[in-house]
Amino acid sequence: MKRVNFLSALPVVASLLAGTAMVTSPALAQNGMNTTMLQSEVVLDGLDNPWDMAFLDDGTMLFTEKCKGLSVRMPDGTVNALYGVGATEGYASNGADLFCEGQAGMMGVAFDPDFANNRRIYVYSTSNMSTPHTNRLMRFTVNEDFTAVADRTDIVDDVPYKMAASNHPFGGPGAHNGGRVRFGPDGALWLTTGDTHNGMVPQSPTMMGSKVLRLDTDGNAHPDNAPPEGFDKRTYTYGHRNVQGIAFHPETGQAITAEHGPWHSDEITILRNGGNAGWDPRPNMAGRGDCPDNYCGYSPNQEEGMNRYERAAFMPMTDFDTYPDAMPPIWNNNGWSQGTSSAAFLSGEAWGDWDGAMVVGIMGIGFGGTPIGQRIDVIHFNDDNTDVEDVTEMTLPMEPGRFRSVVMGPDGGLYTAIDEGTIYKLTPGN
Amino acid sequence: MKRTFVLTAAMVFCGFSAWAESHAADAKTAETAEAVTMEQEVDLEAAEKIFRKSCRACHGNKAQGASSYPSLSDKEPAYIVEKLERYRAGEKFGPNSVLMIQHAKKLSDSDIVSLSVYVTTAFD
Repeated sequence: MKRVNFLSALPVVASLLAGTAMVTSPALAQNGMNTTMLQSEVVLDGLDNPWDMAFLDDGTMLFTEKCKGLSVRMPDGTVNALYGVGATEGYASNGADLFCEGQAGMMGVAFDPDFANNRRIYVYSTSNMSTPHTNRLMRFTVNEDFTAVADRTDIVDDVPYKMAASNHPFGGPGAHNGGRVRFGPDGALWLTTGDTHNGMVPQSPTMMGSKVLRLDTDGNAHPDNAPPEGFDKRTYTYGHRNVQGIAFHPETGQAITAEHGPWHSDEITILRNGGNAGWDPRPNMAGRGDCPDNYCGYSPNQEEGMNRYERAAFMPMTDFDTYPDAMPPIWNNNGWSQGTSSAAFLSGEAWGDWDGAMVVGIMGIGFGGTPIGQRIDVIHFNDDNTDVEDVTEMTLPMEPGRFRSVVMGPDGGLYTAIDEGTIYKLTPGN
Repeated sequence: MKRTFVLTAAMVFCGFSAWAESHAADAKTAETAEAVTMEQEVDLEAAEKIFRKSCRACHGNKAQGASSYPSLSDKEPAYIVEKLERYRAGEKFGPNSVLMIQHAKKLSDSDIVSLSVYVTTAFD
């Protein structure tokens, strides 16, 4: 056993021990076989909770940092800080109303498909412009040399935000905002949202949390959206828990979500226009009684670990008993919840058998007997593209992290951001 | 490696002595007494194992904090000890208490001290 003496009163001790720890920590071994099949490159490091990226064909990369703001990495590697959260220094301009708290802050980002002509981008962030505060989808224009943004227009200003702490795990303000922003192959703008630990939100026809919104670039409902009668027409699907992953199948064009589960059952779901994802954590529903702060999302036992299937039986992620027509998930992470956060489809012959497969970034949790599970899974669909045929865990050439975002780059690389502050590029290699 | 630790420990004491001598005699006496009473052995190897199993997934690979989980690497060991002892006792404070209580209740006194040094020093 290796032992040193600890004198906590002395800063000098800490600094000396730091050297010791660095020397004595074993080099982190790379994972087992197949590590040579992927190569990793650090694109950016030292970031503050990088949340999402978006690319132009020339490699220009927008990226968000949750508590700092929006920046762009140019093809030559230079980084311009464009729009800061609150009073964050160093940005060309700031949104004084933007703030971060808990899981909330600046999240998804997307380029307009017609960016070359209209210079438009879209960013989702938490704002205190109104009270209760909300999450907003903002549209900007970017100047010619990518040094500044202008013309902010809040095209969605009413996605709920959790204002106060509640008696739940992860129960601080700012929980469950969803946050991914993507353009689909249909040219529509898609936004994913979350339940804010509010039992009323998921099945609400008017509160825009727990939804997948399909919009035009002014924030109006897509004309083909078909939610149930009485629903806000911006709704494409509803009854979600906290969707942070959405991608579009390269062959069918269908929107597919990857979603956090409630201590069980992360899910991948092929969306159906107007569909219900079947999450309904209201108290006194489906045989449940009262729940802490009127939200049953972690019941029946939110203090300790318990069998995940018992949890699922009590508080299902997709409640088919109550909602028989709910959209069935095609993957449930073997019943685990491990922080499934993002999704993309691999593209390019260099990916070999994985070309066209879906990748899902998983952040890892590790509570109550759940394996931590930080990884990127490769999801293979069946020939009809209606179900999952196989799942392969990507053998990573670097240490895993909290994989918040996976995005295909125009160069054929898979870019992934981890909360710890790094954006990597993964490429298939020999 | 053991030799390295012995040497490091000696450096610690030398460093402390040099630091203490620059202070007034009364202060020196008081600080020395405090330091001696707080002296404990730490096991960084065991702490690293606990960190990788129980802390890293949320607090980040360098304890730098991630998402809604706070940074640990910028804290003092005494701060970490105090928080872990409270969580181990089942006290709820902060939004992630349930998670912390479950992890902390498995820790011994020596685990807590070792972890507190590890997370605040290993990633400098």
